[in-house]
Order: sequence, then structure tokens, then C-alpha cells
Amino acid sequence: MAVHQDTRNASPATAVSARSRQRIRVSLALALAALTCGQAAWAASADEIKSRGYLSVATEDDYTPFEFMKDGVATGYDNELLALVRKQLGVTVKQQVMPWSGILPGVTTGKFDMAVSAVLATDERKKTFDFLSPTSEAVTFYATKKGAPIKAAADLAGKVVGAETGSAMLTDLKNFNEELKKKGAGLKQIVEYQGYPEAYQDLALGRIDAVANTQISLMSLVKTRPDAFTVGQAIGKPVFIAWAVKKGNTDVARMVDAILLELRKNGQLYELQQKWLGVTYKDMPQSIN
Amino acid sequence: MTAYDYYSIVQGALATILLSVASIVLGVPLGLGLALIRWARVPFFGRVVVAYVSVMRACPMVTLLLLIYFALPQFGLSLDPTPAAILALTAGTAAYNCEVWRAALLNFPRDQYDAALSVGMSRSLRFRRIVFPQILKAGLPGLVNEMTLQIKATPAVAVIGIVEITRAALRIGARTYEPLPPFVVALVLYSLIVLVLVKLQRRIERREAAKG
Repeated sequence: MAVHQDTRNASPATAVSARSRQRIRVSLALALAALTCGQAAWAASADEIKSRGYLSVATEDDYTPFEFMKDGVATGYDNELLALVRKQLGVTVKQQVMPWSGILPGVTTGKFDMAVSAVLATDERKKTFDFLSPTSEAVTFYATKKGAPIKAAADLAGKVVGAETGSAMLTDLKNFNEELKKKGAGLKQIVEYQGYPEAYQDLALGRIDAVANTQISLMSLVKTRPDAFTVGQAIGKPVFIAWAVKKGNTDVARMVDAILLELRKNGQLYELQQKWLGVTYKDMPQSIN
Repeated sequence: MTAYDYYSIVQGALATILLSVASIVLGVPLGLGLALIRWARVPFFGRVVVAYVSVMRACPMVTLLLLIYFALPQFGLSLDPTPAAILALTAGTAAYNCEVWRAALLNFPRDQYDAALSVGMSRSLRFRRIVFPQILKAGLPGLVNEMTLQIKATPAVAVIGIVEITRAALRIGARTYEPLPPFVVALVLYSLIVLVLVKLQRRIERREAAKG
């Protein structure tokens, strides 16, 4: 039996997210239908980008510490990395800052050339996207309210856990749930959210028992609000985080990748990792497709 | 919350007002036009309006926005977020306004129309002097109601990257991990906007009543 079914009982906030999730699903289906009948040659090649003079990218606005807004300016790890890329790219970068739910559809439909966001490079996504060289790594962890009785990942059995809809962390959480079920009892419920801020708020209010997200994001959460939350243990396997282009749009990927690898060599990428993520990942592969 | 955070929500309010006003200003007359096409039983186009209104009422705003913003580029029409948002919001509200206008038209006493006809008024004069003032009066509460709903429909535009009140508040919460204070500010701003609209309605109604 699927556990992540009706989130409407959980809280009014999640009821809203459940409804809009459905809407987005419907609209994605429509967008895909349009994709198959229209011609999808909108994703630009390197020559086209050079002649039109810009690369269009999309970035999230509420995924601290990777990307978020401070005093009206997009900042965080990916934005500072993008600033370094801009210096060497040779064309201007048109950046659109928008919620997560619009980013990957925007890349598949060709509205944007690239997602400059902390996209987890899962096997599922590799079917639709080509990833650049990874910018960091992620392991899905869970966080609880401070002082909660959950001491180890196995204690999540019978609990309600939240994650962002359409995220790789949600997939990890579902897999973890299957493992739990094999050992005995699974999670009580998985609640899907439109964004992590809402999930953290429900956690603070006690509507859910834990939130599944990457270790980096949860560490940032606990650093900002040490009075309210604690980070638990890993519930997933390590996955690389990378910027993404539409499958087959290798021109754009190569253009930007050359710069990203250069930034690894001169150490600037690792400096940014240390600054924003608090760790460095020095043995990441050059290609993960 | 920093001073800039308050400022950013106020800026979001400007976007909310701009999008609402633009879609209302375009959508109210457009709705009237659609309602008149149905009322006058224009062949073929009458059926088109019926289909349009049904589809628009069934289509959630987020879906419509995603379609216009992400699917239209497939057919060579790539809109920027703001025009795409105004287009989607106008298309939606016009369908609802059409029904409000139509209700007013259906209740319009036919004998008055016939009387106007009998004194030889032209079609446009009949509409301007006899029909329109009365359906405006009858339709006003419904239209203002739809306008307030329209203001509250605007947060849907966040999905294509426009920052209105709700999104501005969300961004602050995402940084501080404390979403409640920005949402309280957001609520106050929404209330103010709707209050202005309702006041305006009262004024128009009072003026109409004074006219008799």
C-alpha cells in the first residue's frame, strides 16, 4: 500500500500543496503533449548561443544554502559559482529566479538552456537530462525537532516524514520506507511539500515527525535555528549534485563544463564549497552522465 | 526580518497590484464582450464562448500559466513572465466575468429593450443608454467579488518566477527558517488591497443610489 497518499489529513498547508501538486502534474502532462507535437529544437546550440549573445539559465529562490535571496540579490553556493562562470563564458547569462517546480520543466521544454540549481543527478533524471561535472555531493538525511525521541533512522518506523514533491530526497525517502517495511513496520505517512520552508514549519509545529533533505541543507537549517531542530542520520546513498541541461544539449554542457573544471583546478570551486557548504568534495568525477 | 525584507514584500505588493489591475481592466470588458456574444445568440461564436468559459473554469491558474509559459515556446511564441502572467490571469478572469455579466443580462427586463426599440433608438444607443447602466448596477457586486478572488489568484504566478506578496514572504521564510512573521505582513497587505477595492465598490453603489 502506498503511504504517501492523501496528505489532506495532515494539515491545511499540506492539503494545499497536495492540490497544487496535482495541478502541476496535469500541466506537465500537457506540456509534454505539446512537446511531442511541436518541434523541440528550441534548445540552442553553442553557435546559436554565441550569435544571440546570451545563455538562459534558471535558479531557485528558496533552497538555502545553494541558492536563496538576500536583500533582493540571488546568492548562495550556485549563484557565486555562476558569477565565476560568467566571467569566462564570453556571452551574457540571462538568469531567471523561480520556484523549483518551474525549473526542470523549463529546461525540458527549452525555455531555459540550463538549470543552475542543486539538481540531484539521479538515474531517473539522467534519462531526461545531461548533467555537467558535479558541483557537490548529497546524502539524504532526516532532521527532527530538538529533543524528539527519534535517535536512529530505524526509529522513523510509524512516524510521519516530509519531503519536497518531485525531489530526489522524496525518492530516497520512499526507498527507505520500503527497506523499513522489509524489516517490519514502515513509515506512518510521507507528506509531500511544494518547498522545504513549509516542511520545516510543519516540523516545528509538530504536524510531522521528521523532514528528509540533503545533509548540507539540514546542517544549514540547524545552524540557523539550533534551538529548534537537530540533524539525524543518513537514509539514502550519496548522489552527485550538478547543473543540468536538456538531454542531448551537449554543446551548452561542454561550454560551461570547461569553465567548471578550470575552477576545480585553480581551487576556487572548493573555496566556495567550504564557504557555503562547510565541506569540500575534492574527489568528484569529471562526468556523471 | 530586516528592513529590506519588509521592503521586498511591499515590492511584491506592487507586483500583485499591477497584475490584478491589468487583468481586471482587460478582463472585465472582455467578459462583457463574451457575455454579449452569448446574449445576442451570435451563431457559431456563441458556441465558442460556451466552450471557452467551460475550459477556463475547469483549468487551474497554475496549469494555465505553465502552459502559456512553457508550452507556447514549442510553437515559437516565447513570452516573458509578466506578459505571460497577465495573459493567463486575464483569460481566466474574463471567463468568470462573462458569467457575471450574463447573469445581469438574463435578468434585464426585455420589455425595456422593446420600448427602446419602439422609439427608434439605434442598437448602440439602446445598449449605452438602456442596457449597460442597468447591467452594470446589477453586475457590480459579482464583478467586485471576482476582483477580490482575482487578487488572491495572483500567487499562482510565482510558478513562472514572478515575485508577488506570497512569494516574497516565502523567500524570507526560506532564508530565516521562520516563515510566520513574513506571512503576517503579507496578510496585512492583502487585506489593505481588498479593503481599497471594497471601499471603491461602496462608493460607486452609493453614487448610483443617489442618482436613483
